[in-house]
Amino acid sequence: MICAERIQTFVLQRITFILLGIVGIPVWNVLQKADAADTEAASALTPLNTLSPLLNDLYAVLSISFLAILFGIACAFYLQEWLPETNWIRRLVENVIAILSGVPSIFYGILATGIFFYSAGILKAIGVFPVPQNIEDGSALELISFQNDTPVFYIAVLVFILMVMPITIQTTQAALGSVATPIREAAYALGASHWQVLRRQVIPLAFTRILAGGCRAMSGALATAALIIGIYIWRYTTDPGAFSNRFVLFLSGALFLSIFSSTLIKLYASASDRFN
Amino acid sequence: MQTEKAQPILNVRNLNIWYGEKHILRDLSFEVQHRKVTAFIGPTNSGKSTLVRCLNRLNDFTPHFRSTGDILFRGVAMGAASDATALRKQIGMVFRKPVPFRCSIYENVAYGARISGINQSAHLDTIVEKNLQRTGLWDEVENILDEMPERLSIGHQQLLCIARALAIEPEILIFDEPCGELDPIETVKIETLVRELTNDYTLIFATNKRRQAARVSDVAGFLYCGELVEFGATDKIFTNPQDNRTEQYVTGRLG
Repeated sequence: MICAERIQTFVLQRITFILLGIVGIPVWNVLQKADAADTEAASALTPLNTLSPLLNDLYAVLSISFLAILFGIACAFYLQEWLPETNWIRRLVENVIAILSGVPSIFYGILATGIFFYSAGILKAIGVFPVPQNIEDGSALELISFQNDTPVFYIAVLVFILMVMPITIQTTQAALGSVATPIREAAYALGASHWQVLRRQVIPLAFTRILAGGCRAMSGALATAALIIGIYIWRYTTDPGAFSNRFVLFLSGALFLSIFSSTLIKLYASASDRFN
Repeated sequence: MQTEKAQPILNVRNLNIWYGEKHILRDLSFEVQHRKVTAFIGPTNSGKSTLVRCLNRLNDFTPHFRSTGDILFRGVAMGAASDATALRKQIGMVFRKPVPFRCSIYENVAYGARISGINQSAHLDTIVEKNLQRTGLWDEVENILDEMPERLSIGHQQLLCIARALAIEPEILIFDEPCGELDPIETVKIETLVRELTNDYTLIFATNKRRQAARVSDVAGFLYCGELVEFGATDKIFTNPQDNRTEQYVTGRLG
């Protein structure tokens, strides 16, 4: 038993190191090139024209997280309250969610690049993604679309939802499960229906924990994105041209999470303008 | 009235229950008479709780639960097809551990009325006062109706739970070891209350205290390892048991 655990730990460690290597190379690549870059692109930006993308992105983040968390909570209610524990769908979904919520965020990055980004090109060609025409200067879509019209914004949304949902579902399920069985039974014994028990007993008792779970999922996803936004902003303001680099495209899978990054780019750019 | 007395209110026929592969109750058949206290006695793990939980279909929520046989309430089978929610409004239950809800004492008692759609405050006030008076709790809580039930003693919490169960006006009230967590003085209160309630309700009482069953019940059944060893008038069970195991149990040599 102990032996098997050790082997498992060893294998997991190797995999992590290899993955770190894969991520590390392009990052190093970017850092090397940065020295030679110029700051021409940043000079055109002023604090005034940052307001519109800020509101854009704020709206996007709030609405997406709201929907993702609501949908996650709904999923958790269905799994926990309506499907019996012995149901094979429930067991399958719970296992998948347990894996997803424990996956390091780099996998989401790979997913975004490898599947969503490249397939989006195909989907766009057949007209599934809406591609905005005549983008105004400084709008969120243009800045994070890497000089081609791949709808990076929508990919970012998808990945963000994928990151938020598993943790929301897990914490909500735990919150619902924590409501003691005697309380439910006491309510049932008084002739309450399933919905009445949920509304009057379970939801009031689990409410704070459900909310905390949603917040945790959100902050987790944003914190992961925040690390990468830093590199992204700095890289963009110093050398926008570098983003045609293939390696950077790979890295950008993780960057897509930063759906509000266009605002930060502008703020950073105007700030650096002032100090230089 | 005469016909009601003659007809059993609950009729259990060949009831078998399994949890997964475990055979919990074996081939139980008995009748519960109108406005009588029927007690089930037996040592721990003899299946008393499982049995009484079957009678208002609370076992529906237990995973791996399986049963055969019939339970007839007023001559109608309570199978999977019938409405369990409507049934539970007629067959109330009080548990071993008092579980007051996380709302005021008033709302606890008004719970049954509220879920049935009664919302007029005058009507609710009457229901709350009437049922708290029935359980003898009214004088204690009259001035603290808006406070949480946690501040009551455990015995008073149990009385509150009984009041809450009475407020739905059930026909049968099931007590699943209601005094398991209480001290002797509170136990006496509950026992007295149970005797008083016989005038209006049919009561089913599961307990592992022999003397308690002897004190409160009219009819008693002795459960041992999932078998209903003996079922009959309480006097007979305690003074002249037919089965050897019953005699050993009531005299304290078994269980």
